[in-house]
Amino acid sequence: MKQFLSTPLMRGLLWLSAGLLAGIVLVAGIRLAMGLPATGKYLVTEHAWVFGGFVGTMAFLVGHGVMGDWFKWWRGQEMPDHREDPPGWVKYFGPSLDHKVIGIQYTVTGILLLVIGGTFALIFRTELSFEGAQFLKPDQYNTLMSLHGMVMIVSILLGIAGLMNYLIPLLIGAHDMAFPRLNAFSFWIAVPAAVWLILSMPLGGVETGWTGYPPLSVNPNKIGQQMFFLGVFVAGWSSVLGSLNLIATVVRMRAKGMTAFRMPIFVWAAIATSLIALTATQLIGLSFQMVMFQRLFGMGFFDPNKGGNPVLFQHLFWFYSHPAVYVFILPGLGVVSELLPVFVRKPLFGYKWIAMSSLGIALVGFLVWAHHMFTSGMNEYLRVPFMYSTLLVAVPTGVKFFSWVATIWKGKIDLPTPMLFVLGAIVVFLMGGLTGPPNATVSTDLHLHDTYWIVGHFHDTLFGGFVFPFFAALYYWFPKATGRRMNETLGKIHFWLMTPSFLVLSFGMMRIGLLGMRRRIFDYDPELGFQNTHIVLTIAAFLIALSVLIFIINLVNSIRKGDPATGNVWNSRSPEWQAPSPMPAHNYETPFEVVGEPYDYGLPGSKYVQFAKK
Amino acid sequence: MTTTTDKSSALTQGVIIFVYLAVLTALEYGIAIALPSVPLLALVALIKAGLVMYYYMHIYNLGKEDAASEGHDSYAYKTSTNRFGLWLFLLSDSFVFGGLLVSRFNLLGMERPHLNQLLGLGVTSVLLISSFFMNRAETCMAHGDQKGFLSGIMITIVLGLAFLVGVVGLEWQLAKLEQVIVNKDVVGGIFYMMTGMHAFHVLTGVIFLFIVWRLGKMGFFTREQHWGVEAAAVYWHFVDVVWIFFYPALYLIGKVA
Repeated sequence: MKQFLSTPLMRGLLWLSAGLLAGIVLVAGIRLAMGLPATGKYLVTEHAWVFGGFVGTMAFLVGHGVMGDWFKWWRGQEMPDHREDPPGWVKYFGPSLDHKVIGIQYTVTGILLLVIGGTFALIFRTELSFEGAQFLKPDQYNTLMSLHGMVMIVSILLGIAGLMNYLIPLLIGAHDMAFPRLNAFSFWIAVPAAVWLILSMPLGGVETGWTGYPPLSVNPNKIGQQMFFLGVFVAGWSSVLGSLNLIATVVRMRAKGMTAFRMPIFVWAAIATSLIALTATQLIGLSFQMVMFQRLFGMGFFDPNKGGNPVLFQHLFWFYSHPAVYVFILPGLGVVSELLPVFVRKPLFGYKWIAMSSLGIALVGFLVWAHHMFTSGMNEYLRVPFMYSTLLVAVPTGVKFFSWVATIWKGKIDLPTPMLFVLGAIVVFLMGGLTGPPNATVSTDLHLHDTYWIVGHFHDTLFGGFVFPFFAALYYWFPKATGRRMNETLGKIHFWLMTPSFLVLSFGMMRIGLLGMRRRIFDYDPELGFQNTHIVLTIAAFLIALSVLIFIINLVNSIRKGDPATGNVWNSRSPEWQAPSPMPAHNYETPFEVVGEPYDYGLPGSKYVQFAKK
Repeated sequence: MTTTTDKSSALTQGVIIFVYLAVLTALEYGIAIALPSVPLLALVALIKAGLVMYYYMHIYNLGKEDAASEGHDSYAYKTSTNRFGLWLFLLSDSFVFGGLLVSRFNLLGMERPHLNQLLGLGVTSVLLISSFFMNRAETCMAHGDQKGFLSGIMITIVLGLAFLVGVVGLEWQLAKLEQVIVNKDVVGGIFYMMTGMHAFHVLTGVIFLFIVWRLGKMGFFTREQHWGVEAAAVYWHFVDVVWIFFYPALYLIGKVA
């Protein structure tokens, strides 16, 4: 315990608190000196909290030590690109430069936020089981519902960053990411972001849903809204810098012979994802910043009384936030394509098409944002073009499905836990995909907009596109990271408990949505006749939570007590499995050269990588 | 970056590009007065940005092949990777400024804030001249002229600070006199947001340049190994490119609100 309290993480959090306090005192002091009111509903005014948040973020990064090497550079000292980590668990709380350590840091933080966000969902799901108010106030419901959305989004961003950080350098044969210090920085800046998101709860909460639309988000009584914006803004930098690093790594650090069309599919997916995250994230940052400034300084960007335009916010916001869903799912779909050939022992069908379909989804994804705004009062002539561009996304997504089906066709199918989750992902994502076009089509969307149908749809896509593949990846690469296997029986219980419960949950959501249940509301009219469905949904949600609990118990137990697995447990062709597990600190002992196609499973004599002789 | 051209011709190239940019800026101002044509102004801005990106920011370096014999750990290979990373960052950052430009035209349309034209032209010129000296400093470093490098970068820092004083110290106060006020209407909001975001980047650029100047004084950079100088230069010119678009958007296009 004492050792834990002296880790850089705890030091950073201490500095964060001190920075927050210093910022608050400074602004409050300046306001007092200027004769302006310094105190407010939450001790001090909004200005003080926001400035304190910025100072706290910087203080965390300085106190934690993740910027130490840069400070030394600026003083003219040369710092080595690799440094040895302390042994044991302490390294996971410090500014390690090893991409594998950072990948695990990301993944564990992602799982942690997944649990927090899931708990929020359970609380307000219980509230919704019966009509009328049960045990929450409407305010608290709104806060939990909004933070469930945003905490889950940050959790997904960290989860995919974890997978990509751990795997990409291994898959392309690099000894680390292109910019190891930036890599550590991108992870650690996400920690204060999570702190600000959670801090928004005691400061009045958030009432807008995860989208933060003005004018509701300009309500001056809710300082929590500002901390929410601040948290997302800071988390955005994690995403931007992480994806910058990833693109540079893939473009510059590939092993000899790994041409573009010999890269693993997961690498293609990571590139497509990172291209979106690198560029579009700036616009959610900008739009949230503009609302923050509107609240702080009265700049009238989204205030019609001052000549502003609330619809502009939605354009800026969705320009990121729609492509963002492709950020969430593309790595997951990459995992599906990556694992499927291993477990059916057949070449991946249509490798080039799959590779290009990831890029296709990413690029078309930039042109579809206004389909969230068919009912927002934007110019009507924009509706039809955005409808067609949205429907176009189904084409590259369909390519993936056909490839998966053709890959499974006549394969020698093996069904360990990761493969179960891969198949689950395909089924669930198919449901998400099929329920998409009705939302993209203007005529039907006018009815479906803002109903629980939409909630069901996007839970299907995000479970199919992220949660299931994420679990598949964790079960699959766990032996690589720890040298032990996760328990198969518990894994199968996890799968068979989660999948039916989830399908019940999402179909139930869509059903009540069609019957007239609005999303984001605290209460509903019993006359609408879906009271019983709500009870079923709540039970299903708790079953999912139970299955995730089983997963976490399995994870924690297997780290110490799992069956040893040091070799190529899945009989994979991929280079990381040709090395010992857990992966040595500087990855491959000798560099490898790519000499064949990545997914030629079952073809006699074919070879993907050739390691150099020592 | 090692160049094969001799120093004087490299410096002359910098001067020629500066003259082009100055003439184009004058032309831009003339167009705004004589025939306020948005497509023409946009064209001039694009040409200016192209010149800066090609001759001052050396965007062509991105396409240069790496020497195959050198490993991934060599300075040259790492510099190419760093260069690529920096340009990715600039791409990302340009979406912020792009978003601000879109917001400006969405909210104000063909109106513009009432601003002091002379001061606007003044700060624009200051930033342009600073870019010239930045290029000069980098060229000097690439030819091993430590003294020319230090003086060039110091002049750039001073001009950068002068730009900040001009925008934040003078223009913000003068605009207030013209009723461009932060919380009065959206015109004020857009003006302060755009200039503020740009000024923030200028400020970070000045700090960056100062660190590079100090390291340069310590003899940290050599003719062959001066990635820090190149990075500071590219970043500084990027801030200039942003202003190339912000200046007409705020000062030249449209009627006074």
